[in-house]
Amino acid sequence: MSINDATARPNEDGGTGVIGAMDTRLTWEGTVGDNEQVSSITLSLPEGATFDHSSTRITVLDGLNRTSIEGTATSADNSMSVQFSEDIPAGSLVRLEVTGMQFPAEGGDYVVSGSYTTADGQSHALDDSAAITVIANTPLQAAVSWLDAQPWVAAWNSNPFLGMFFKPQLLLASFASLFPGWLVCLGIVLICYPFAIVLGLAFAMLKTSRHKVLRAIAICYINLLRGTPLFLQIYIMFFGLPMVGINIDNNVLGVIVMAVNSSAYLAEIFRAGIQSIPQGQYEAAASLGMNGFQTMTSIILPQTVRRVIPTVTSDFITSYKDTSLLSSVGVMELMMFSKNLTTTSGNITPYMAAAIYYLIVTLPLIKVVGIIENNIARSERGGGPRPKRRAAADASDEVATAEQDLASSATVFHAEASKPAGDVFAALSAPFVSHPTVDLGGVADGE
Amino acid sequence: MKQLASLTRRDFLACAMSAMGTAALAEFVSASSSTGTSTSASTTSASQDTYTLVKDGQLTIASDLANPPLDYTDTSTNEPAGFEVELMQAIGEKLGLTSVYLSPVKFDTIIPTIKQGGTADVGVSNFTITDERKQEIDFTDPYLDSNQGLVTVKTATKTTQDDLNSADVKVAVQAGTTGESWVQEKLRNATLVSLDDPVVALTGVQSGLYDAAVADLPVVQYLVNNSFTDCQVSIEIPTGEQYGIVVSKSNPALTSAINDALAQLDEDGTLKDLKTKWFGADL
Repeated sequence: MSINDATARPNEDGGTGVIGAMDTRLTWEGTVGDNEQVSSITLSLPEGATFDHSSTRITVLDGLNRTSIEGTATSADNSMSVQFSEDIPAGSLVRLEVTGMQFPAEGGDYVVSGSYTTADGQSHALDDSAAITVIANTPLQAAVSWLDAQPWVAAWNSNPFLGMFFKPQLLLASFASLFPGWLVCLGIVLICYPFAIVLGLAFAMLKTSRHKVLRAIAICYINLLRGTPLFLQIYIMFFGLPMVGINIDNNVLGVIVMAVNSSAYLAEIFRAGIQSIPQGQYEAAASLGMNGFQTMTSIILPQTVRRVIPTVTSDFITSYKDTSLLSSVGVMELMMFSKNLTTTSGNITPYMAAAIYYLIVTLPLIKVVGIIENNIARSERGGGPRPKRRAAADASDEVATAEQDLASSATVFHAEASKPAGDVFAALSAPFVSHPTVDLGGVADGE
Repeated sequence: MKQLASLTRRDFLACAMSAMGTAALAEFVSASSSTGTSTSASTTSASQDTYTLVKDGQLTIASDLANPPLDYTDTSTNEPAGFEVELMQAIGEKLGLTSVYLSPVKFDTIIPTIKQGGTADVGVSNFTITDERKQEIDFTDPYLDSNQGLVTVKTATKTTQDDLNSADVKVAVQAGTTGESWVQEKLRNATLVSLDDPVVALTGVQSGLYDAAVADLPVVQYLVNNSFTDCQVSIEIPTGEQYGIVVSKSNPALTSAINDALAQLDEDGTLKDLKTKWFGADL
């Protein structure tokens, strides 16, 4: 009898390693030699490995056809043996799957050895298998084993809901093994977003252009992308491009799809933002002798940016969540990792861990959107920051408050026309700056 | 002869009486225990002779319907079709129940769904009986023997296990399958890509996204012959696995009822007919 293969199933949560002192499945395959019949097989591993509490699945194959030979397995310590119900004919393939066995905790390379008896009662030694590499028990796995032993964990898990959705051991293992997926998610959305903003701005400009053709191009682009599901776009790009001979790395392609998709939404957001700026601003700019480009860059866009920041942030949150769709085409992101873990564990907890990873990013962003919206609302009401130059010129707070509504726009124009860079920056960053001493007019009496 | 017949009838009567007695006793026990705790009563009565169903009178089945010719959605009728679908209909008939398929669900969610209960009674989606899965749910007796198949495009240069076991190779599988664990163990250097169903995996192989796909042999053979004609089954992996129907551990009466039905179908030749119809041979 000759050995074909001996392998162990990876038992590292979300990983590919075989960890010692944790349940795994040993799969041993051998072929019965030409002139012999086999009645029993014994497998043994070095000291420290254990077959205790294992169960063995026996498969005897003639080519691709399963034969009805069964067997009984007995295990003791670091060896196990199988007595077959009838002798296995020559040329058959024998597979033994030993579930629930453990390799030694310290790790290392282990070979499976053993012996077999033929129908005539003679015992022969089996060839050693190729070495199975086992890694030592990791701190994470040790922590999981510790949780396994706690009575409160067992009590917690005995509740069907808690055990299925929030199994502590699995939650811990999930956090560790989902981390790379989370980085991929963040990486994809952070890299794609600047491109999406630039593309979106370009198409917003095209759509507000005076030329019919340019407008048509932008409308087609935006409507096609907004009118079809992202899921479909992902499928088209991931399965379509390789068919025409374009092979791009999965992650890069993911960034491209996300950027293109977001750009369509952003284009609409920017267009709405640009068109929300009153006509009077264009006229005022024209009266100062600005050309179209100057008007756009120093008057319209800074105000647009402030107005669209909440919506853009919301779109960013949406994009971040939508990276989960990439899991369906094999990008190794958060959903993919949690899906793999769920399939191996048959438990929903990894999805809950993924939910927490999504929330870590989205909840603060939602909060940020709220703060920005408040700041903008305040400044549109007449509160909020005033340009620094003006504050210096008019030392009196009283005057500043009184003149705010009437004078501010004109002053801003003068200031920006003379030295745009600083004020553009101030305008852009204003929503992000907190203003502890917001002066809402008439409340500064004490000073 | 007459003597024998009457004896049998008497035996039958005796059996029936004792069965009724047992049922009455069981009911009594459950009734008395229900005064204490009402939740445990339903489980005790279910564990004996009766099984619980999500919907009375029908066997509710969860499947991903993405494994032709075993289970798939017929595009012309939009109804579930395939070997397993007809098998489940036959089992339903034996049990006096209507077999109803739910809308397709993802393969990897079927076992948790059955375990959790409340949605479907059984999961039938070419589930290989493994000891790991047995820890979560119960399997019925096997209804089909199977193997795994590795698919590549016909023009592929890497078609052997050694060729494919390298870091620049991507192998697609269906998440949560025995094919997946085969790749994890035997192609350890290759990149494993877990997808929703074998059709998506083969689409990826045909378009060049992945170098190979591993799935159940009857399924990939069917797909290669019918839909993905640029692909071929490069390696037939003799695993000799067996498919079983997934039933919740809290419903053992249903498992044994289905086992009885399966045994009857095997005896009267229905199972063989179905295999011949769908696979062209008795596997």
